[in-house]
Amino acid sequence: MNRFLSLLPALLVLALASVGCKPSAPDTAGAAQTKTGSDAAAPAGGGAGKALTIAFLPKSKGNAYFIAARQGAEQAAKELGIKLLYDGPTEPDPAKQNEIVETWITRGVDVIAAACENREGISTALRKAQSRGIKVVTFDADALPDARSFFVNQATPEGIGNALTDEAARLLNGSGEYAIITASLTAGNMIEWQKAIEKRNAEKYPNLKRVALRPCDDLKDKAFAEATAILNANPNVKLLMNICSPAVPGAAEAVKQAGKAGQVKVIGLGLPNENKRYVKEGVTDTVILWRVVDLGRLTIHVAAATARGELKPGATQFTAGALGSFKVSGDNVLLGEPFKFTKDNIDQFDF
Amino acid sequence: MKRYGRELSVTASLGALLLLLAVVAPAFFGRQQLLTTLTAAAPVLVVACGMTLVVLTRQIDISVGSQFALCSVAAGLLARAGWPMPAVILAVLAGGALLGAFNGLLVAGLGLPSIVVTLATFVTWRETLRWWREGEFVKDLPDRFQWLGLGQSSGQLFILLAAAAVFALLVYGLRRSAVGRFVYAVGSDREAARLSGIRPEWVTWGTFVTLGALVGVAAVLNAIRFADVDPKTGTGLEMQVVAGVVVGGVAVSGGRGTLWGVLAGVLLLACIAPALVFLKFPPQWEKAIQGAIILVAVAADGSRRARR
Repeated sequence: MNRFLSLLPALLVLALASVGCKPSAPDTAGAAQTKTGSDAAAPAGGGAGKALTIAFLPKSKGNAYFIAARQGAEQAAKELGIKLLYDGPTEPDPAKQNEIVETWITRGVDVIAAACENREGISTALRKAQSRGIKVVTFDADALPDARSFFVNQATPEGIGNALTDEAARLLNGSGEYAIITASLTAGNMIEWQKAIEKRNAEKYPNLKRVALRPCDDLKDKAFAEATAILNANPNVKLLMNICSPAVPGAAEAVKQAGKAGQVKVIGLGLPNENKRYVKEGVTDTVILWRVVDLGRLTIHVAAATARGELKPGATQFTAGALGSFKVSGDNVLLGEPFKFTKDNIDQFDF
Repeated sequence: MKRYGRELSVTASLGALLLLLAVVAPAFFGRQQLLTTLTAAAPVLVVACGMTLVVLTRQIDISVGSQFALCSVAAGLLARAGWPMPAVILAVLAGGALLGAFNGLLVAGLGLPSIVVTLATFVTWRETLRWWREGEFVKDLPDRFQWLGLGQSSGQLFILLAAAAVFALLVYGLRRSAVGRFVYAVGSDREAARLSGIRPEWVTWGTFVTLGALVGVAAVLNAIRFADVDPKTGTGLEMQVVAGVVVGGVAVSGGRGTLWGVLAGVLLLACIAPALVFLKFPPQWEKAIQGAIILVAVAADGSRRARR
């Protein structure tokens, strides 16, 4: 009896698992059959007056950043007369992204444009899509190179490093001390950005001197504490450069509470909404980010051109209609220079 | 003297650090830096006081950081929804107590190990928040939120006084009240406590509820220092708090330790991060030094027990 009781939880789990799985399995299979049946011609044909269907996959669909990208995608869909599908996980979830890709494969879309949460994880599903004749492009965060045709690259480390360093130099008139607040000392993208900043600094601005580099663990409260300590320990620091998004409002609050607004400049990589308050108060001078709406718009143009055979490997230039002309480097379409949000324009953006 | 050896040695370490800073970097004691260091330490101290009760009964709660984040976001949302700040504080305090009661129910009621229970709630609350807020700040808070609308200086004073009041209340409660003695009794010898008529389950449950309520208080004290709430706030708080408690001389085996030691432990750890900036240490050292301090504290405990 005792032994049976100890097995009971395991049996319960098994029972629950079988109840949970069985009914749904034939269900999805059935749906798959009917869908492929009716849309079978779509992926293969795609020509002769039939509108392209492009599926747009964000990392998470409720996120303001991706909602802004979606606006651009919808604008491009109108410009090009294509059908746009938008779906993604409610939270950043690689497994859910794979499920959505599978659904689109079954449904037979023409192109999938994905921002990948997990580079390796999604690549298998994307390769499967390619093997069924679906074109794949990525944006924002890339998959493995063989799992897509093009990556719409929003910012190179040089682009970001140069924009930040140039802006710091402009605000300090080319000379003075500054400090960097980063997310962590080990994150790959942060290190690339730091190197690009160092390089630009050494090449162009000999009188600009970085005196401190502190990590904030990607936390606003910690960035505030670090910024306060930096300012008090280094009274000559005249600018805080924040290369992770929570650090920008964190550092701005520190400068404000120290009563040094205007005397110590604040710049950084971040989202306009998180910084509006400080930009308007004159604490934060410049927030730098790529044009997120244009990222969505360009992605759909690249997706459509790939499907129509207008954008082929080896191209060095790509014209995205009214959006303009973009450099293509290898299999990366470059969005170009980052954008600067300042007091004058920040109210036009909502993400 | 011997009895309070740990409290004295931690206070001496703190004193040595402060002395070093006074000589090398007197700017550490500038008004603005000092107030920022202390107001940042105040919420940690409040949580550490609650944690002390839990550790004294030989349990632990590692979900405090996630509770803290939930409470902070709730405070922001309620204030934005138009609630007056006193009502926000009460609601968040009650919410924190509820989260603590849930942990307490699983630990005291079902007899599950607290480290496993609170590891589960630690992940669950944090992931709930991530799913719900997707990292988005709670913004556009009313003016009465930051510093409770009192302005920076009065707001900072309020935070320090509130933390001091909580500390004093708990010091008094632990030393002078019957409930305080029950906490020590349950931690020292649960069976003996039961035989003397104490209900250990209720005492344990009560310490978790108290800790939860204090997490709520701490979340408000921290959130009102800022103009918006980062839902990732409180990440790593469990580390700071447990470290402060252990370094302060509270025995992980239960039943021994004082809040005065915890005060010194929390202050010591709170000074380390800014001190490293002033002493121009490379940032890689920060966590290693914190870890080393905890190791020394635990080793001191171990050797003390071995000698007995």
